[in-house]
Amino acid sequence: MEGGEMPTTIQFNLFESEMVLMFLKTAILIILAFYAIFALMVVRQVDLMSKTLITKVSPILKVLSIAQAGFAIGIIILAWGIL
Amino acid sequence: MFPSYVENPSGYRFEGQDPEEKILLLLRAHPITNLNWIVAAILLFLAPFFIPGVFLLLNFNLPQVPEVFITVFLLINYLLVLTIVFEGFLHWYFNVYIVTDKNIIDVDFHSILFKNIDVAPLRNIEDTSSSMGGILNSIFHYGHVFIQTAGSSRNIDLASVPRPHHVADFILDEAHKRYGGGGNADHHPV
Repeated sequence: MEGGEMPTTIQFNLFESEMVLMFLKTAILIILAFYAIFALMVVRQVDLMSKTLITKVSPILKVLSIAQAGFAIGIIILAWGIL
Repeated sequence: MFPSYVENPSGYRFEGQDPEEKILLLLRAHPITNLNWIVAAILLFLAPFFIPGVFLLLNFNLPQVPEVFITVFLLINYLLVLTIVFEGFLHWYFNVYIVTDKNIIDVDFHSILFKNIDVAPLRNIEDTSSSMGGILNSIFHYGHVFIQTAGSSRNIDLASVPRPHHVADFILDEAHKRYGGGGNADHHPV
């Protein structure tokens, strides 16, 4: 290195790489797909639980579980769109 | 709204209940046993607010993550919170112990797809015992009730139920009252 030259540091941003972003997008979509499957299983589970113990709260829980599954599927579509 | 100890509950029925069968006692684990998942959910809910501060404190330069990815990570985080809360509540709410005038029923949902129901006829009950140990148990007054049954019937363990000594006495008294024996049905310990 010559006398007047300043050392330079190269800023490397991992998220500027197209490959990394593609990998992240795929990973996120896989996680969300698994979550959607899980949410559908929860709908089935709540249905099973509500048949085993019949209470006044059961219909509300069923609606919540269906809303959760809808939310999970909605987020997949949203993530697919914005990523 | 969500009691863990209800005598003669109304608005509750269970799978396999006979038309004339009456529910005498409905039990769940004490609400304080939900503390584990409530704390986990609160920490996870607050995590996004603290993570940037922690990275700043450690003088760690986060690479520039695109805004949309941060939004999706946040959404995944809050989905996880929602799952913990919903599953925690379902697990607590539907894992019940039911004492009827005929049977004792232990309904267990161990995981998302595994259900186990133990039924012991009240006439087969030979002995009950209760135990309470630990700081939280003593403060909130909950513990285990172990019900020993005759013959090849499975013994039933009521885990973390409120007022365990009273429950043990209640069950034994009901068994004596309906199927003979000399239990004191009027006196219940607290």
